[in-house]
Formats: sequence, structure tokens, C-alpha cells
Amino acid sequence: MRHITKIYPNGVLADNDVTFEVRAGEIHALVGENGAGKSTLMKILYGMERPTSGQIILRGKPVTIHTPHEAIALGIGMVHQNFMLVPSFTIAENIVLGAEPLRGAFVDRRAAIAATTRLAQEYGLSVDPEAVVDAVPVGMRQRVEILKALYRGADVLILDEPTAVLTPQETHELFAAIRQLVNAGKTVIFISHKLREVMEISDRISVMRDARMVGTIDKREADEHLLARMMVGREVFLDIEKPPAQRGPVVLKVRDLEYATEAGVEVLKHVSFNVYAGEILGIAGVEGNGQTELVEVIAGLRAPLGGVIELDGKSIAGLTPREVRRAGVAHIPEDRLTNGVAMTLSIQENLIVDRYAREPFTRGGLMRPAEIARNSEALIEQYAIRAPDGTLPVGSLSGGNMQKVVVARELSSRPKLLIAAQPTRGVDIGATEFMHEQLIKARNAGVAILLVSADLSEVMSLSDRLAVMHDGRIVAIFPDARGLTEEEVGLYMLGTKTMTPAEIERNW
Amino acid sequence: MQATLPTAPAFDRAAERARVQQERRRSAMIDFSVTLGTIALALLVGFLVMLIVGKDPLLAYSSLLSGPLSRSNRTGRWIEDATTLIILGLSVSIPFRARQFSLGAQGQMFIAAMIAAVVAIYLPMPPVVAVLLPLAAAMVVGFLVGLLPGLMKAYLNANEIVSTLMLNAVIVLLYDFLLTNVFTPPGSQSLRSELIQPNSMLLRLTAIFGVNLGRANLAVLFVAILVIAVWALLNRTPFGYEIRTIGANEKFARYGGINTRRTIALSFAIGGAIAAVAGAHLVLGVHQRLIPGIAAGLGFEGIVVALLARNNPLFIPITGVFYSYLRVGGDIMEQEAAVGAEIVQVIQAVIILLLTAQVLVDYVKARSRRARSVSCAA
Ligand SMILES: Nc1ncnc2c1ncn2[C@@H]1O[C@H](COP(=O)(O)OP(=O)(O)OP(=O)(O)O)[C@@H](O)[C@H]1O
Ligand SMILES: [Mg+2]
Repeated sequence: MRHITKIYPNGVLADNDVTFEVRAGEIHALVGENGAGKSTLMKILYGMERPTSGQIILRGKPVTIHTPHEAIALGIGMVHQNFMLVPSFTIAENIVLGAEPLRGAFVDRRAAIAATTRLAQEYGLSVDPEAVVDAVPVGMRQRVEILKALYRGADVLILDEPTAVLTPQETHELFAAIRQLVNAGKTVIFISHKLREVMEISDRISVMRDARMVGTIDKREADEHLLARMMVGREVFLDIEKPPAQRGPVVLKVRDLEYATEAGVEVLKHVSFNVYAGEILGIAGVEGNGQTELVEVIAGLRAPLGGVIELDGKSIAGLTPREVRRAGVAHIPEDRLTNGVAMTLSIQENLIVDRYAREPFTRGGLMRPAEIARNSEALIEQYAIRAPDGTLPVGSLSGGNMQKVVVARELSSRPKLLIAAQPTRGVDIGATEFMHEQLIKARNAGVAILLVSADLSEVMSLSDRLAVMHDGRIVAIFPDARGLTEEEVGLYMLGTKTMTPAEIERNW
Repeated sequence: MQATLPTAPAFDRAAERARVQQERRRSAMIDFSVTLGTIALALLVGFLVMLIVGKDPLLAYSSLLSGPLSRSNRTGRWIEDATTLIILGLSVSIPFRARQFSLGAQGQMFIAAMIAAVVAIYLPMPPVVAVLLPLAAAMVVGFLVGLLPGLMKAYLNANEIVSTLMLNAVIVLLYDFLLTNVFTPPGSQSLRSELIQPNSMLLRLTAIFGVNLGRANLAVLFVAILVIAVWALLNRTPFGYEIRTIGANEKFARYGGINTRRTIALSFAIGGAIAAVAGAHLVLGVHQRLIPGIAAGLGFEGIVVALLARNNPLFIPITGVFYSYLRVGGDIMEQEAAVGAEIVQVIQAVIILLLTAQVLVDYVKARSRRARSVSCAA
């Protein structure tokens, strides 16, 4: 890709004279801060966006790619940052969608399943061809996306932040599959914010910053610190340092909490724990073991079946999200696109959803645009949200910057309890460092923090105490997260080890 | 290599912002010219249709295009119709902004007309009060009639399209029944109520300007206030913020602490209260009594006006004035050139189709951008 420039219709310059070269058969990592233009560059290669100027050269020949269709015909496949599967279709149906094997006028289901199984075996990407997408975990959905691209004959595979939603085990499996793909002669472009992964998997690494290509280096010449410096333009501290916790009184008390889905599946089984003022309680666990539901029940988005939830001694169980917020709870939701933002509203408006009716944003029944703008200017500045103007719709921000909007709003609400679900998912290292600092600052100021993260190293290094969830239960609470090893925690996560109820209760 | 790498310039917010604003102005200009172009195109299509079927297309077309201005009483008709349509458009825009497809304006207008008439006919009142009280009574009833499907949607998740349409049917039947059996004085030749008391009649513009402006009346001044009020409600009050947030992403609204059920129900109710203003206008300003089918078909014209304005209260006066011009012009064409009402409807439909085709606007924008970037590159 030569001298690619892209200006979006709203005037945002996403890529500025970017030249990017990938060699056949390599694993090429593309890294850079949120909003640097990585996804845009890849969407151009995949024909989803057209460059304002510039040229794409594939196997020595200049090509024009106007639609994903043309990209696929040229052997380019892409797995997006936000998945694009049909949730109500089976996995096999999704994989063959758009190029279905036909028998007469009908889709040949058996052929679809056979093709899926064959591809899955060939590349070591295990999926259940007959399961409905809606019902399978994210890790499998992602393998489906990859298989889908392979099914259509992709030689060059673009993976946009594939590991952001994966557990360490799943990441491991994905990397094994990527290596297998490359051995089979494919080329992989891999976007990630996790430098450890980049160093582990890639052959060469390109760094983007502020819509420009900073440079491409060989993995052998690189290390995490150098990459971080290239991305951010300054030294980044990758290790978390925090003073010892000054633990205060209990802020959140959860006892025997139960929750079941409408279909009657028990998801939370007698969950009990405390979160104290001035500490971070981390919750580790393989995704899908009740963490999502736990967070949403506490935040008032789902009604519990039974049990106690108290904030500062007052029950908040079964209250509406509004009442829960009033009581002093802030919530960084796991799924920012569904819950965390309204894409078509402006950044300004997204930043006040929990406080629009209060001073200074509303006075005498009227909202005050100047105050709303001031709030957003301050938060954009403070959280380094890459947006030229607070009046732009949130939907035009890059993934990581949307996340910053959510975090900025929730942290600035001065909560007693902050529930942070995957707070740094998809966020670049500079911003991750910043958010970690903010979380620790809040904790030092006496906020009780409940942290849920699929990133095991993140929960382990950030938390003061660590609870592990497995199959809807708390199976362990470690009174001191320091000195634990990932392997040890992993055993609890998989359910092979559990603490006794008495031991857990001692650590509530 | 290391030394040369981190040299990309920092994100320049001021420059970015200037570019974004310039881009926005350009895009607004394109929006506007595309709208104008669409109207011209639709008129052309209408002309072609008329060439094929009509006897005297030139006469017909000139009466459509200049009809509402050709005589003062026709201009009056245009003013009167625009008044009603703008109020209706405003009414519809409120639930629409919350993404609630309330189609209840039709019934709300009928029942409001009836309530306003009852008060204005039977309850003796001093001047001014005689206007305000029937209006207030109509608005209260409109509010309640709107609230019902609103509550059903918010708390029982009953489909609002179905419930509002059913309610409309019931109200229209009730209106016909009461008009025939209760409001029409015994021995009357035609089916209509008595006139409202003179104190309740809105002053006609004819009386002010001394030229015959038909039934156009003082309500037209009230429209300006209402436009600003609805704009302010949507854009400057917490309630408006709640409505727009729900319209943008209901889950987000709930997560953020908005009482979504209450807001949804209220959006229907406030729409109902404003539709009632339109209904009261028909009685106090236009007909000065109840007549059969007093608001027939108007509810849907209000939806068109709101949609053409993309539910933006500040554009609704423009689309309302434009659309009523077309309606009145169409009527005149029908009379003068003996063109069937169908042709008029075809022209109206073409305009609406073209204008609502957002795709077209986006296409033109993309084209112009490409043309521009090519010329930059050259
Ligand atoms: N559809 C769009 N319309 C307008 N602007 C956009 C659009 N998509 C992205 N942008 C803007 O373009 C810039 C680059 O976005 P892009 O998504 O390429 O970033 P990224 O490097 O992938 O970031 P992240 O790591 O956060 O995913 C951002 O400033 C973003 O706000
Ligand atoms: Mg991206």
C-alpha cells in the first residue's frame, strides 16, 4: 500500500500518506495508539473504505479494491474488531454465507457442515458447525470469522484486534492456528495493543501514530519498550506500581446472590463477597462463568433472583439502574457498543448520560450547552480522547477512543463503588497505563473498585484482593493478589481447584 | 533507526477541528441543494406524467405552481393548511425522536376538536378565556389519549402502531356517532354542530388585513411560538435529552439511568397534547363548528411533514409550508384544469420518495468528495 491517505466524510484525517508493505508468508503486526488509523488502513485494503488518494499493489501489480467482494476475489480476508456474523444462523451457515454450496435452489446444509469440519480440522480451529452463533462463546465466534475468510479462499488474512476479547487460553490456541496458517503459505496481518503478544507472534512489526506510519522493524530488533516508545512517543511504564491499600469499611456487601436467565438456567449460585473502600477487588475467571451477570445484577440492569446486595449498608438489590447510580455506583460496561455509548449522539451528550439533569448541566429546568461543552472539553483533554470536537457523534471515533469516552464519564462521576468490566479492552498501551493510574488514584482516594477483566495479567497486577469465579460460583478469594502466579489462578479458573467455603468466607 | 522513528507530529486538534467544521458546512450545503434539486426533479416527473395523460399540461402545471398565490383567498387557504400541518408535524416529531412510531395524531385531532367544540359551544366564557379554555381542555384530553398507547408500549410492550391505529378507529366512530346523535341540533338540514360562541372564534386574518384571506386566522402567529417551544423541549430540556437518547440507543439510556418507560410514555402523551392543538385550531380557527370528517386524512400528512424535516422542529415550518403549498396547488389544479386528484398525488408521492431517499444525498456527497480529491491530486 503506497502513500495511502484517507479523509472520512466528516473531515477526520485517518491515514496520512501511509506506506505499508507486507511480505508473502509473514506474520506482520500493526500496532499504534487508538485512532492512529490501523482499522481504517485495513478497511481500505479490504475494500470497505476507499482511499482519498494512494495506491495498492498486490503481488507486484497495482489493483483497485472497491468492495469486500473484490478483495475476497483477490484473496484478501478480514476479521473485524467488531464481529459481523448473523447471530441466528448456525456456524456452518455463517461460514458459507455469500458462497453457499447449492443443491438445486437450496443451500446444501450437509455440504456446508462438511466444508466447515474439513477447514476446521485443517487449521486446528475447532468449532461446532451446527451450533447457533448466538449461543457460542466469543472465542468460537472469532474462529468462525477466520474460517469464513479461509472458506472464501483468503491468502492474506487481516485480524483486527483478535485477542482483545479472548482469554489467555484462547489466545494461545489462536496463535497456534495462526502459525499453522502461515506454514500453509498464508500471510497474516495482526492488529493488537498487547505488545507481549506482538513480540510473541509476529515476524515484522509496523507502528502507526497520528495517522502516519512511523516505521517497520524486524521482531529481532524490537522489544516492548522500544515499541511502546514508537507508538506513544515517550517512555511508557508497563509495570503497575501502587502503594499498599488503605482498606476502609465495607462499601459493597454481596451475600448469597442468585440469578437465573429467563430460560431458568442458574448463572449465579450463592455468590458472596465484600468490596472495601480503598481497595480493588479483582474477579478473574474464564469468560462466561457468570461475571457479566454478576456485574449487571449489581448495576441494576438485571433483577436478582435472591440474595443481598448492600451499598454502605443500604440494600440496592432490584433497584433500577438510575437508583443504583444515585446510590453512588459507577459502571464501565463490558459491551460498550450496546450499553456504553449511543453512536449517533455527540461525544458531549454521551458524556453526561448519568448527570444531565443535575447542576451544572441543567438549571431551572433548562440544559446549559456551554456547561455541557465545557465538561466534554475537559474530559477530552484529560483522557486524551482523540477527537477534534465534542460535537462529533461517538460513532465516528475509533474503538479505543469510544472506550475512553465511557471510562471518562464513569470515573468522573465520583462514585463510592466503581464496577469496571474489561476497562481497558481495546485500549492502547498509553491509555491503558493512564486508566490503570486513574483506577489506582480512585482507589487511593477511597473508592471501592470491583474489577472484572479477561486479561489475567491485568487483574492480577491491578487488584489488591483477587476472587476467582467458576461456573457461577466464587471458588476462591485470595486476600493478597501479590505473589500469585497465573498458573495457580488458572487452576481455580478451570475449576480443578477450589477453596473450602470456610476459607472463602474468611476472606470475604 | 530508533532516533528517527518517533517523529510523527502530534495530533493537531485545532487544525482537525477547522477541517471538520469546514467539512460540515460543505455537507449542509450539499444537503440543501440536493433537496432543491429533488423538488425540481419531482416537478419535472409530474410534468411528464401530465404530458402523457393530461389535456392541457401547461395550464394544469401553472395552476399547480402558482395557484396558491393567484388569489388572496387561495393564499389564505395555504396559510390555514400550513398552520395545521406544521402543528401536526411538531406533534409527530416528538415520539418519532424517541423512535416510537405513534400514529395516533389522527384520532387525537378528532377528539380534541370535539372537546374544544363542546367547551366553546356550551360553556359561556369571557373573551380570551373563551379561546384558552377550550384549547386547554383539548390539550388535556389529547395528552391522555396519547398517554394510553404510550403506557401500553412502555409497560406492556404493546406494539404502538397497532394500538394507535385501533384507537384512531374507535375515536373516529365515536366522533361520527356523537356528531350525528348529539351535536347536530334537531331539525338541522345538514350534519353539523352549532357555531361556537363568538368569543371563542380566533380572529381571522381577513379582518386584520382587509383582504380576503379565507379562513386563515391568528393561530398562524401561535405556530412560531410552538416551533420554538418544541425545539427547546427537545434540545434544551432534560426531557428532550432523554427522548433523543432513547431514540439513539434505548439500552444505553437505561444503563445511564434514564427512566426509559416514563419517558417513552410521556413522549406519546406530549405528542398527543400538541396534536390536540391542531384539532382545536380546526374548530376555533377554521370551521368554527364540528363538521363530518373534520380532520380526515390530516394525521398522515403530519407524518410526511415531520419525516421530510427529519423530525427536526426547526425544519418543520419549512416542510409544512412547502407541503401545504403543494396540497392547495393540487386542489386548484384539480378545479381549474380538470386534472384528476390522482396526478396530484403522484407528484406528491414522487417528491416524498425522492426526498426521503437519504441514499441520494449520501451518493452526491461521496461523488463530490471524489471529484474534489481528484482535482486536489491533479
Ligand atoms: N466511519 C468513520 N467516520 C468518520 N471518522 C472515522 C470513521 N471511522 C474511524 N474514524 C476516525 O478515523 C480515525 C482512525 O480510526 P481507526 O478506527 O482507523 O483507528 P484505530 O487505529 O483502528 O484505533 P483503535 O485502536 O482504537 O481501534 C479516528 O480518529 C476515528 O475517529
Ligand atoms: Mg481499530
